[in-house]
Amino acid sequence: MDLDLNVRKDGDHSVLEVAGEIDVYTAPKLREQLIELVSDGSYHIVVDLEKVDFLDSTGLGVLVGGLKRVRNHDGSLQLVCTQEKILKIFRITGLTKVFPIHSSVSEAISSAPAE
Amino acid sequence: MDAVAGVGPATVRLAFPPEPRLLGTVRLVVGIVARKAGMGAEGIEDLKVAVSETCAVAVGDLTRAGRQDPIEIDLVETPDRFGIEVRDRAPTPARDAAGPDQPEVDDRELGLALVGALVDDLKTATLEGGGNRTSFWLRRDPLDPGGLGPHPLDPLEPGGLDVRPPDPDLPPPLT
Repeated sequence: MDLDLNVRKDGDHSVLEVAGEIDVYTAPKLREQLIELVSDGSYHIVVDLEKVDFLDSTGLGVLVGGLKRVRNHDGSLQLVCTQEKILKIFRITGLTKVFPIHSSVSEAISSAPAE
Repeated sequence: MDAVAGVGPATVRLAFPPEPRLLGTVRLVVGIVARKAGMGAEGIEDLKVAVSETCAVAVGDLTRAGRQDPIEIDLVETPDRFGIEVRDRAPTPARDAAGPDQPEVDDRELGLALVGALVDDLKTATLEGGGNRTSFWLRRDPLDPGGLGPHPLDPLEPGGLDVRPPDPDLPPPLT
């Protein structure tokens, strides 16, 4: 399964919908998308992981890299995820303390600081 | 070779070239074999993450070393546990070498943390002549029914993955 990415604007936020499997093969595509968003001036990003079937450590690294980039611009990167198998990955690695994780895009946007 | 795993005779043995694009296929096959062995959904997901992380390290090491040696995976079913052993022929120094394309985060440390948290009896060792062996087990949920029958998906995909029963002429796994 490949990785599908879709970006849309919602006010001051960019919502990045991710579908498929994020692993060492597909993670570079996600990294490039996050870099492009920040380069284009999107500093408040919501990454929707609801359609992600698999996430590995490479994918986690890409998300952490994205978080560092937006923070360099006083921005935010929030996640949307309710799948237990994906949440488990964040919990094991301690990244639930790093990323705000929400149950819906609207919840993420309402809690994120806007520009 | 060093004795590490003690996982016993393989139920299924896979071999695939060190190409990242094949990791998804490996996960698919591992998931199907584990499902047919009666593993529960959570255990299957844990196994898929653990084997994918282990194989990703091997793929990276072999790629950096310019090697195309196949990565071998033994899947072992016992009445109460499911075991996996991954073997690669990456030169030992590659495991400690800094690659030219360093990630922003140490994916390997995250990966090792994941594998260690998800499985039981994680063991790693260096193989004589170069290479690495990683093995681990996952206990079968006692509530899981034994064997759920055939999966509708065909595990075979074109592109180099070799799925075959263990060769009876091969030496037995090391214990």
